Amino acid sequence: MKRKSFVYVTVFMLVALLLSACGVLNPSSKATIIIGVTDQISSLDPADAYATHDWELIRNTGRTLLRWNPGTSDLVPDLATDMPTISDDGLTYTVKMKSGVQFGDGLKLTAQMFAEQLNRLLTIGPSCPNDVADALAIPYLESVTATDDVTLVFKLKSAVAFFPQILATAPYTPAHPDTFPTDECVLFPEAPIYGVGPWFISQHTQNEQLVLEPNPYYKGDLKPQAGQIIIRYFTDPQTMALAVQNGEIDVAWRYLGPQLVSQLQSVKDVTVGAIDGGAIRYLIINHTMAPMDDPNVAKAVASLIDRNEISDTVYAGTASPLYSQNPPGFLGATEAFDTMYKAPNIDAAKSFLAASGYDESNPCVLDMWYPPEHYGAETGPWMEVIKKQLEVTGVFQVNLHAQEWATYVTALTGGESYAVGVLGWFFDYPDPSNYLDPFVFNGGMGTNVSLAAEGSTFGNPINDKANQLVDLLAKADVETDMAARKALYEQAQDAYADLVVTLPLFFLTEHVIYRPNIKGSTKYGSPATLNIGGNVEFSYSMLTKS
Amino acid sequence: MTPIAIIFLAIGIPGLGLLAYIMIRGSTGLRRYILTRIGLTLPMIFILATLVFFIMHILPGDPVRSALGPKGTPEQIENMRETLGLNEPLIVQYGVFLKNILTLNFGTSMVGGHRPIIDEMSERFPATLELVIPASILALLIGVLGGTFAASRRKSASDYSLRIYSVIIYSLPIFWFGLMLQLLFGLKLNWLPISGRIDPVLGANLQHVTNIYFVDSLIGFNWEALGSVLIHLVLPTATLGLILSGVFVRMTRINVIETLQADYIAAARARGIRERAVVYGHALKNAMIPVITLIGLQVAILLAGAVLTETIFSWPGMGGYLVQRISARDYTAVQSVITMFALMVAVISLTVDIIYSLLDPRVRY
Repeated sequence: MKRKSFVYVTVFMLVALLLSACGVLNPSSKATIIIGVTDQISSLDPADAYATHDWELIRNTGRTLLRWNPGTSDLVPDLATDMPTISDDGLTYTVKMKSGVQFGDGLKLTAQMFAEQLNRLLTIGPSCPNDVADALAIPYLESVTATDDVTLVFKLKSAVAFFPQILATAPYTPAHPDTFPTDECVLFPEAPIYGVGPWFISQHTQNEQLVLEPNPYYKGDLKPQAGQIIIRYFTDPQTMALAVQNGEIDVAWRYLGPQLVSQLQSVKDVTVGAIDGGAIRYLIINHTMAPMDDPNVAKAVASLIDRNEISDTVYAGTASPLYSQNPPGFLGATEAFDTMYKAPNIDAAKSFLAASGYDESNPCVLDMWYPPEHYGAETGPWMEVIKKQLEVTGVFQVNLHAQEWATYVTALTGGESYAVGVLGWFFDYPDPSNYLDPFVFNGGMGTNVSLAAEGSTFGNPINDKANQLVDLLAKADVETDMAARKALYEQAQDAYADLVVTLPLFFLTEHVIYRPNIKGSTKYGSPATLNIGGNVEFSYSMLTKS
Repeated sequence: MTPIAIIFLAIGIPGLGLLAYIMIRGSTGLRRYILTRIGLTLPMIFILATLVFFIMHILPGDPVRSALGPKGTPEQIENMRETLGLNEPLIVQYGVFLKNILTLNFGTSMVGGHRPIIDEMSERFPATLELVIPASILALLIGVLGGTFAASRRKSASDYSLRIYSVIIYSLPIFWFGLMLQLLFGLKLNWLPISGRIDPVLGANLQHVTNIYFVDSLIGFNWEALGSVLIHLVLPTATLGLILSGVFVRMTRINVIETLQADYIAAARARGIRERAVVYGHALKNAMIPVITLIGLQVAILLAGAVLTETIFSWPGMGGYLVQRISARDYTAVQSVITMFALMVAVISLTVDIIYSLLDPRVRY
């Protein structure tokens, strides 16, 4: 009898537990929105973080002097009262801050505190592991000082027209002085983590989830609409796709990949929002290595690649052809490669190759390298498409080499350099300089159109055309008149295409997948994509759940 | 105190106490046997750790360049090498690695935030334990009971069914099986969650003590969280446990059949003892000895299965961590995780051997 009672009690307890668990199977209350991502956090310190997801969190918990309006690429004042005042020599930017700005724990932000935090970028920034400072502060910024409680003065090393864009990036977010001391990088502080933005981080379990709650002291115009945001971290995109379908998460954000997105487009209970992304894919060409040291070979390749075929056959139309390294929507973007090469143009390609002595009996042997997983499993298939497109001439003999990322990137950037490889790029700030300069100046990340020289900004251009391109880009960098700057970039893109510095292929559309009860705000341009705009900013404040 | 330290102490202190008790009260033969096994385990771990260290360093690919990507400047690369000690001669790095293992420090990760490995393992290891313990229990329950049942009804339909089950389930790819369970119970029927360890809202309020959520929710008397933890365990546990149960069904069945033919079983039957008591009371006990050995051997397979199961169910354990870090050439993390796995396999094998020697004194000689 005793044994039977024990069994009954045990069964009852198990059933009770399971029933209570069923109640929590879909417990997302009205106020809580759960966003799934396959990213991981690398750092939450604004003086260190240099990854897209880290920046997204820093932006949602912080504010910068200038910001891009949700859903748009419009730069507007945020912590600043107005756009910066620029000195005549372009070296000094003065910004007035709004007063009464407070961190999530009530601490008031002063200009002195802000300056001290921004100076962390210059002092400890370069020694932090992710080293954002060497990309976005050290090359530009001489010093930051506060002249009174609300005025910040930025002294630049040299005039750069895109500095307002840089001011809007995550490293220029004021960090809480108690959490982020001036002499130390703190990559993973203990929650709660307070910023001056609409949210604060109330809880963080590494690799599992991060909880955001509204900052009670936030007075900006991006007030949170939901009571709580939970970011859930997935290791497998397939699992994330299933989780949004069965309602375990409300929103599936980066990254699902084209195949899963394509499957989800036919699922009844979810909406797939497509956003013009900033991620591009291109062939990186080493101009000092045979056979790509011959301009005719590079031009022949540029004449043959049919980007539409790649998009249609490999990406199910979710990638868009890219005809300039400066993608559509950015200042002065052209379609220089299309205008110049009109690919696929087999006759033109054969002419270029013939001019260098290549024909069917003496084909140009081209070794092309790529990482099979780092840029998605689609890389191999689209490289096969490119091989087929080049070999259709009978004058190219292409050998494809797949190499996993760690080995590939070591060889590509470590001196063993390949003549042709694959790389991807995602901008730090939405400006053409961020898409063009890195591939031209001072080694150009392995393109070698301007050979790397220690201590030099521009390096040593390999020929007159390269010299002209360097000159155009250098002028555009400091030109503050937008019309003149646009014209310079238009010319630069022609020169870039003529040299085939890199070979832009396509840009990827970002996708956000969400449940029917999730909405974006009608206040800004793109509620259907939850106000994630062309600059791929995801403002959690825009989200509502019915 | 970190969760991993709490877990080690919780398992280690009673384990060492028991070992001390056996060493004091046990026979000379048993003591000698245990000491010999411990003596063999330590060099095994040392050799494995050494192999892993040198294999990782021989492989092409540089962790620094992999982490920094094409944007990395020569200065950044040099700084990171210096910070991570990669500029030191290989033998010096090896010395540091051994010292780190001996002090259970494990060093710092080479990618991401360069966090101490012990912190990262502290977050991950409890999740793996929370998965492999119930999966092992499930595999054993199904394996032992199913195998015994099949043996007791030899050549019946039940026997054939269980034999077919054991072959099919063991040969299923774990990745596919997990996905099928997700699609059926998570998506089609919407009965069970398909990812994670706990509902996110409840997880946000759970007090983390051991990072084993089952234990943490019990400690905090958080019944709602406990329910959520249990229901989140169902699919990953079933995936791993069912796959592993196949081999236990077969092993138990064969051993019980052999045991049932022994003279003492015939004697028991002749004394009129009920068949159920003969099978489950007398035969199973003796048939379990080889099965216990198998448990030790299956630990490595269990951990390998956990790697895949964790990936499918976005379970933030050691398996997923290992996969991530191998591709990033995070030497310190990979070496530490493999050493940790080796340590687990060695300790469990040692425990199994000791239990075996207690159950069957013949093995000591």
